[in-house]
Amino acid sequence: MGSPFSINGGACVAMVGKDCVAIACDLRLGMQALTVSNNFPKIFNYGDVYLGLTGLATDVATVSDLFRYKVNMYRLREERNISPQTMANLVSSSLYERRFGPYFVSPVIAGINQTTGKPFICGFDSIGCIDFAKDFIVSGTASDQLFGTCEGLWEPDLGPEDLFETVSQALLNAVDRDALSGWGAHVYIIEKDKVTKRLLKGRQD
Amino acid sequence: MEVLLGITGKDFTIVAASKAAMRGATILKASDDKTRALNSTSLMAFSGEAGDTVQFAEYIQANIQLYSMRNSMELSPTATANFVRGELARALRSRRPYTVNLILGGYDKIADKPTLYWIDYLASLAPVPYAAHGYAQYYCLSILDKHHHPDIDFEQGMKLLRMCTQELKRRLPIDFKGVVVKVITKDGIREQEYEDDVKVAIP
Amino acid sequence: MDSLVSQYSRPVHSAEGPSQDEHQELSQTTPPLSLQFSLPPVAQSSAWLRAMTDDYSNPNCPIKIAHGTTTLAFRFKGGIIVATDSRATAGNWIASQTVKKVIEINNCLLGTMAGGAADCQYWLAYLGMQCRLHELRHKRRISVAAASKILANLVYSYKGMGLSMGTMCAGVTPQEGPALYYIDSDGTRLAGNLFCVGSGQTFAYGVLDAEYSYDLDDEAALELGRRSILAATHRDAYSGGFINLYHVKEDGWVKHGFNDTNPIFWKTKLEKGEFSNVTADLE
Repeated sequence: MGSPFSINGGACVAMVGKDCVAIACDLRLGMQALTVSNNFPKIFNYGDVYLGLTGLATDVATVSDLFRYKVNMYRLREERNISPQTMANLVSSSLYERRFGPYFVSPVIAGINQTTGKPFICGFDSIGCIDFAKDFIVSGTASDQLFGTCEGLWEPDLGPEDLFETVSQALLNAVDRDALSGWGAHVYIIEKDKVTKRLLKGRQD
Repeated sequence: MEVLLGITGKDFTIVAASKAAMRGATILKASDDKTRALNSTSLMAFSGEAGDTVQFAEYIQANIQLYSMRNSMELSPTATANFVRGELARALRSRRPYTVNLILGGYDKIADKPTLYWIDYLASLAPVPYAAHGYAQYYCLSILDKHHHPDIDFEQGMKLLRMCTQELKRRLPIDFKGVVVKVITKDGIREQEYEDDVKVAIP
Repeated sequence: MDSLVSQYSRPVHSAEGPSQDEHQELSQTTPPLSLQFSLPPVAQSSAWLRAMTDDYSNPNCPIKIAHGTTTLAFRFKGGIIVATDSRATAGNWIASQTVKKVIEINNCLLGTMAGGAADCQYWLAYLGMQCRLHELRHKRRISVAAASKILANLVYSYKGMGLSMGTMCAGVTPQEGPALYYIDSDGTRLAGNLFCVGSGQTFAYGVLDAEYSYDLDDEAALELGRRSILAATHRDAYSGGFINLYHVKEDGWVKHGFNDTNPIFWKTKLEKGEFSNVTADLE
């Protein structure tokens, strides 16, 4: 068997625009070459924050459940939503807790900080090193391809509609060159007081 | 060469499991039942490492039944699936994990819909309209992709199952001794007669 | 003096026609095995090759060979259907979506390609050459049985040296009618009615076996071949791209297109209601 990161396959990308952010993922769940499900979204919502998780499917489920619990406890204690920045630190420290037996996931965070109104994205390795970025974050088995498409397509200060087009093309063209991801995609465009979720019909081979 | 299959339809879920209990090159038993009923609307079929399978299934069965007694209500199939996944995932990072692949068939009485969950030994969970484990995946999923429909009736469901088992009889190198078939509907779980004496030829 | 005379007294035309060397070269069906292929300077060349190229056991192997395929061919009353996908992968990287995995050996013979892309391409081209030479020598077309045996003997002579190919030879000749053979690099050679080869073979078998019959009409047979490849491209990550479809008839093969799976998939889903597992709307 290959690396735990490439057993199930999957890809995720986040991008910054002008007063908006986008996050998108593919929908495949596989077992090596076999596609088991075409409806396995990898983006999870925690109030104002969106978390994309690629890697081993069992850990995608475990980690998303863990953060649902942690974020709910935070909201009860603080009586407010968690901000993307705080979430980033929570994810980082929670992953580092498993330093010697890590969750095999590569998380991506996207959201708008409701107090400052500023877009925020970041990514992590599987043991919690935060990668702050001003442009885009990629993860998953198609990450090499995503770096290419994002470097080629992204530009600063894209509006919500242009950002949607950019992130969608970046993801679809990247997963079309990766055997282990694709089979459709979800895209979230996050603005200050509006979130649009769209389903992309991708190639089904 | 263990076979697990699951098919949902309009108002039912069919779960089938091969009857052969194999150890090495020997078939120890040809009437094995690789399923356990968890409550009146959830059934679990299992395959994998000898010993682990039944131990895990009966541990889950006992805990689901304990929940029903304590709360005077039954856990829904979705909640059951998430509980099973959680237990398998917890065991995965323990000293000795269970090596068990599962198919969870159920009927959700609140949504009034049949349910089917696919879980592998790594505790990956996926809700699916039809599922298979082992070599059956490689032969049957393409058949089901072509012939399955979400609103098929029970007769059509059994016809689909027949297509799958015939293909397996045709192409698998080892005899799996036919299948046990269980059906889950809103009225509960029942075993379905399944004649298996038809010869199949390779074209 | 005698020797000088004899040197010039040979019949004028004795030097014409093939020399002994040339004659041997022409009558030989396999290349001399004392290797025109250079071998690595190690004791076990096959083990070394495996260590260098097997990306399944070693993802960091330095040479990645294109792999992963679905190909099928089946005999029916109207001839033979041959269909393939068109994806080449090196590890998880999709190296190409437009590979031609059906090789037109001559206008009556087709070969399919699965396994090592270079191995298949090279040896099927070589087989085409041998078939043409056979035709010139014997003044009639080679039988499918003979052609497939040339290939089987050839790959068998390289057994254990790391060739990787699973191929089918389909053709029609007056003496045998439509004939189909499966040949792989282990040296297996089988005649049969229906074969699927490659990483997606089981998915194709599933769809094909369920509806296959020898009495299919041409249109239904073509559609079944197309649909079986589509099924495999959907479930097998290493198959995809385009569907390459051929029909071998008595008077030679006919090509039925090299079509993108994407529009075919959505047409099949939306018009026939198949692939109900694929979501077409949110939630």
